Amino acid sequence: MRQTPAIGLLLLSAFLYGQDGHGPTGPVVKMAPAPLVTVRQGKAATVPLSFRVSSGYHINSNRPKSEFLIPTILKIDAITDIVIGKTTYPDGRDMSFAFAPDEKLNVYTGDFEVDVLVRPLHTVQVGKYVVRGILKYQACDNAACYPPKQLPVSFDVRIAKAPPAPRKNPAQSPHAHR
Amino acid sequence: MKRNPLILVFIAAVVAAMLFAGIHIARKNHAGGVAPGQLIGQTAPDFELQSLEGKSVKLSDFRGKAVLLNFWATYCGPCKIEMPWFVELQKEYGPQGFQIVGVAMDDASSEDIAKFAKEMGVNYPILLGKESVGQSYGGVGVLPTTFFVDRDGKITDREFGLQSRSVFVANIKKALSQGQAVQARR
Repeated sequence: MRQTPAIGLLLLSAFLYGQDGHGPTGPVVKMAPAPLVTVRQGKAATVPLSFRVSSGYHINSNRPKSEFLIPTILKIDAITDIVIGKTTYPDGRDMSFAFAPDEKLNVYTGDFEVDVLVRPLHTVQVGKYVVRGILKYQACDNAACYPPKQLPVSFDVRIAKAPPAPRKNPAQSPHAHR
Repeated sequence: MKRNPLILVFIAAVVAAMLFAGIHIARKNHAGGVAPGQLIGQTAPDFELQSLEGKSVKLSDFRGKAVLLNFWATYCGPCKIEMPWFVELQKEYGPQGFQIVGVAMDDASSEDIAKFAKEMGVNYPILLGKESVGQSYGGVGVLPTTFFVDRDGKITDREFGLQSRSVFVANIKKALSQGQAVQARR
């Protein structure tokens, strides 16, 4: 048992060596499983996509304050018969960091949600569709920045049959119900 | 002392998990080339890159000078903090045979990089980086990453992320004190 601390130290060193100067070992941003949204043919629905920025990191918001900063952007692949509408990004938080205490950056930290409007055509077949895309982001921490990354994004949309069109009744005579 | 076999099995499992994680991450990180730490004491990999002025610049052109090789990007806030220090350090140590070389590792256009450099008052060459050059330096996964090269072209130190000015000064003095001063081509 006396060797155990030494082995632990050795392995910890190996672990740290692997991380030496290469930044985060995994993606800084992760996506939570998206809810299955059901939308009728020809109607629109909003799909909320939830993301989490790892603790200690920040990414630029969709509207960073400098032209040199890389905004967070969601790009959704075109899909036949489903129109991808407006993408709504949350407002970022104005924050100062140790590397620039006098400057406010507009960033996302922790959890944030991006909403995507989907509108299937009237003609689309009912069923479940997978929509794919990428979230482009660029992360930093208090002392360093990391090259831009692309997080694969996907969510399911269930297309339901449109309700039958209301029947048009013929105009009635005002005397019909006497 | 009687040992509980369950505890031993648990410790063995933890140790195995740590070993697996360490090796896996190390392999993943080093897949693109040599680890930056392994470069210290080695000859700095030579490269040829375009400067903002459109000139072709080699690292070996500066042989005989101590070089601070700074990988940076326009989107990198911490890099922005270092640049004014670099401007001062270039002025202060330049006459002793010291040269700062910036390598911009971003996808911004050369016009944008030039605009940024002008705004920062940069007084040293900025080169337009390539992924292959980053890989030859162990993969530049952290910005800023700075290498210090002595007069003989050997890497004396490297720093990841924002450092204090005093760290740069110490590393510059060390690089200047090593190797032989010969007439550099630039």
